[in-house]
Amino acid sequence: MLGLTLGALPHFYYQPIWVAILFLAMIGWRCMNIWQAWPLPSIYYKKQRWIQRSIAALAIILLLTHYGNLIGRDAGVALLTVMLGLKVTEIRSNRDYYLSSFLGYFLVVTNFFYSQSMITAGLMFVVVIIMTASLISLNDLNQSITNKLKTKLAGQMLLQAVPLMVILFIFFPRISGPLWGLPDDAYNAKTGIDNSMTLGAISKLIQSDEVAFRVKFDDTIPEQANLYWRGPVLWHSDGTTWTELNEQKHMASQPNIKSSSPIYRYTTTIEPHNNNWLFALDFPLSLAIPDNTYFTQDGQLKSNDKIKQRKQYSLSSQTQFTFNAEQDLFIQQALQLPDQLHPRTRQLAQKWRNQTGKPNELIQLAINYFNQQPFYYTLEPPVLTGDIIDQFLFESRQGFCEHYAASFTVLMRAAGVPTRIVTGYQGGEVNPVDNFFVIRQRDAHAWTEVWIQDQGWIRIDPTAAVSKERIEQGMSTVMPLTMRSPLLISHSQKLAELWQTLRNNFDALDNKWNQWILAYGPKLQKQFLSKLGMPNPNWQQMVLWLGILISTTLLLISLVIFYHRKRRDPIVHLYQKFCHKTALKRGASEGPVDFAERVKQQYPHHAKTIDQISQLYINLHYGDQSASIGQLKEVVKEFNPKKK
Amino acid sequence: MTRVFSQLYQRFNQLRGRRIFIVPTRFGFLYSGFILLILLGAINYSNSLGHILAFLLASLGQIAMLHSYRNIAKIEITHAHAKPVYCGNDVSFTLIIDNQSHYHHYHIEISAKQKQQRSWNPFRSLSGYSYPQPLAQLKPQQATRFSYSLPSQQRGKQPLGKLRIASQFPMGIFLTWSYFPNDYTAIIYPKPEGTLPLPNAAEHGQKINNQHQKGMDDFAGFKRYRTGDPIHAIAWKAMARDDVLRTKQFSNLQGGRLMLNWQDVAQLSDIEARLSQLCKWIIQAESAGISYGLTLPNNIIHYDHGEAHRHRCLTALALYE
Repeated sequence: MLGLTLGALPHFYYQPIWVAILFLAMIGWRCMNIWQAWPLPSIYYKKQRWIQRSIAALAIILLLTHYGNLIGRDAGVALLTVMLGLKVTEIRSNRDYYLSSFLGYFLVVTNFFYSQSMITAGLMFVVVIIMTASLISLNDLNQSITNKLKTKLAGQMLLQAVPLMVILFIFFPRISGPLWGLPDDAYNAKTGIDNSMTLGAISKLIQSDEVAFRVKFDDTIPEQANLYWRGPVLWHSDGTTWTELNEQKHMASQPNIKSSSPIYRYTTTIEPHNNNWLFALDFPLSLAIPDNTYFTQDGQLKSNDKIKQRKQYSLSSQTQFTFNAEQDLFIQQALQLPDQLHPRTRQLAQKWRNQTGKPNELIQLAINYFNQQPFYYTLEPPVLTGDIIDQFLFESRQGFCEHYAASFTVLMRAAGVPTRIVTGYQGGEVNPVDNFFVIRQRDAHAWTEVWIQDQGWIRIDPTAAVSKERIEQGMSTVMPLTMRSPLLISHSQKLAELWQTLRNNFDALDNKWNQWILAYGPKLQKQFLSKLGMPNPNWQQMVLWLGILISTTLLLISLVIFYHRKRRDPIVHLYQKFCHKTALKRGASEGPVDFAERVKQQYPHHAKTIDQISQLYINLHYGDQSASIGQLKEVVKEFNPKKK
Repeated sequence: MTRVFSQLYQRFNQLRGRRIFIVPTRFGFLYSGFILLILLGAINYSNSLGHILAFLLASLGQIAMLHSYRNIAKIEITHAHAKPVYCGNDVSFTLIIDNQSHYHHYHIEISAKQKQQRSWNPFRSLSGYSYPQPLAQLKPQQATRFSYSLPSQQRGKQPLGKLRIASQFPMGIFLTWSYFPNDYTAIIYPKPEGTLPLPNAAEHGQKINNQHQKGMDDFAGFKRYRTGDPIHAIAWKAMARDDVLRTKQFSNLQGGRLMLNWQDVAQLSDIEARLSQLCKWIIQAESAGISYGLTLPNNIIHYDHGEAHRHRCLTALALYE
């Protein structure tokens, strides 16, 4: 029962609160039955039975209203939890016990839909031990084994099972799923960059510490200021929300990129975000993109399938490049502004437009404006109402990267310079433990690109004009300490540093876990096995190896289980040595005294020693422990009848 | 090195000694079904931890099988005996079960097969075991006394039958068992039954009733107590003097001498009914303290009394053919 509760515990986090309450109430009911002899539902207690049934009916109705179905993943798990709770109240026969134990194992699996962290894995082992212990107690007559011993036995069995499990894990031929259609809610929405941008959305995102993706550079790491991880490109604005180009349009062709700078090679492991785009260092070589991906006209790297699982891909990028220098297909789209909106911004842009016609100078004017007027970079911008661009530019002047990117774009477009917004991540932190570059949700960023004839799309980051540190040193310098570490320890610099170190270590471990355990699928299996010396493993080979290894391991384990080293009594051992030296065979029923008599007849010269040995043996083995083993050892050693 | 190998070989031979059978129980099948379900789910969702759990549970089942085997291995039934009982009562065999291994054995179940059927079906030999009785635990390297009772079937020698020791420990997903053929038997006395009165001692005995009147007074002296002497003949006063148990000897016992004869029950048509009647008489005669004898067509037992004599007579009845 404890196992069931533990198994269900993580679910409470995802499920509506009443599921947890119901489950715990049912467990409590059962506990009260054990401790206080409360009646359980049965044919003898009609009332309780009715209560239980109505709870079940109520639960189903509630689940239906909450999830709309009972078959989807979330609803199914919730249903399982509730029903298992109800089942606990009516466990009577052995069959019920077995069934609920096995269902408990099953409940553990459903946890993995939500989390596959190391902690969940640890919890899994604990639950399996408890379940096994409860199965043992079910098979233990009169409860003759103590609970501690049961748990120990269960733990032992589990330990003995681990080597087999490892072999199965490595060699069992993996099949890539899914085998059948998955329910719609199989992958829930994850936090992350979206393909539309509403002012205030990214600043919400930066509160999240979650890892967006990890990068391992093959050799050199680019400068922090060049670490722009390109994501969705936004063109269209309705005044508050910015969205992508129509998909079919920008899929049509690839951009014209000319690049010249050192090539950075790297491997990215992206966390699932349930969308199509991949993040790449601005700007990746189009020749070396991974399978099943493509480039859009505005330079997004997209995958054909949604990223529903952690995925790895290798890329090469160059940070110096020209993008569609001669012409761009969608230049008109980069000048679009919602009608009738942003009058004050348009006015300002018009004023600049009258001063100069050169795009370069217009950009400089805008940057100077951000620089010289009292603009502040803040992670907690005030809420804007009405015409938000006008509000921001002329009144609040406190904003986050998205505010700067959006208002800069509006200013430029109003001044007649084609501009677009690029979202993604900027910066990232190196984990000193394993040298992986970790990019978290809080590194989310938005910047702009401006198109100038013959120069192509040029990256302009208006945020840099306001807060240079954000771009050059990364997000963590801008973030106050309180936002990076738990509240209690944020006051002390030392504690916070310690926290950071611990976190780095844990993160590196977590990364290893992700890379090797969780990502172990058909592909990685193939790689790993070829490393082990199976050049082209097919499933027949794998099964063969699996069989051989399993049987050897089983043999070894059964030796461990059955082989018990005889702990020989040293006294008996010494006496046997003596018997051996006499070259006489001691009869099964012959006591040491009788035997000594016989030996004395054989070797009359040694009568004294023989008596001494026999007496010592008798004293040590049967009587008081006054004589020392050392003495016996000495005498037996000296006893050499054949030499005379 | 060779010693290690030879030791291992010996071990192996010891293990091999008795044939041990092992099959999954219905919960075992349920268990494997759940594992399969988990594995399918894991494959479908490409869930690595799901794979791990499925593999872990599968390995756990494998280990459970070994443990289950260990729980039955190295058990030996070294001895069994049973006190004679009257037909109709349960006969209780005391089994000495020796656990030669270094481990505790938990929750084993002992059952016996009474009849040997011959059948064309080889699996038939696996079934037919009944009267299961559980035993909570066997301590390592110790012999445990266990009393196993069976209903008695008919007078005569009742075999204990082939024993089966089975266990589902530890997880209940495997049933392990082993057979213990043996030839231990118990003596089953006939059922004491019948309505005929005890024949009068005077009618058949040589001594006459008048002796009976003074019989009690014919004190002949003391004899040292032997097991089987009637309790009422113990000289308690004498014991109080010097702490030695003595039996008072009478020149003639109170009831005179009685020969129970096969002819006395000839009026009963059925042999079993005759034996039951004789059995009842013997019990009556013993409790009355009469010195009695038994004459069967194939066996004559002379006058005597006491526990041992009663057993001899009843055994003669039990084995009468």
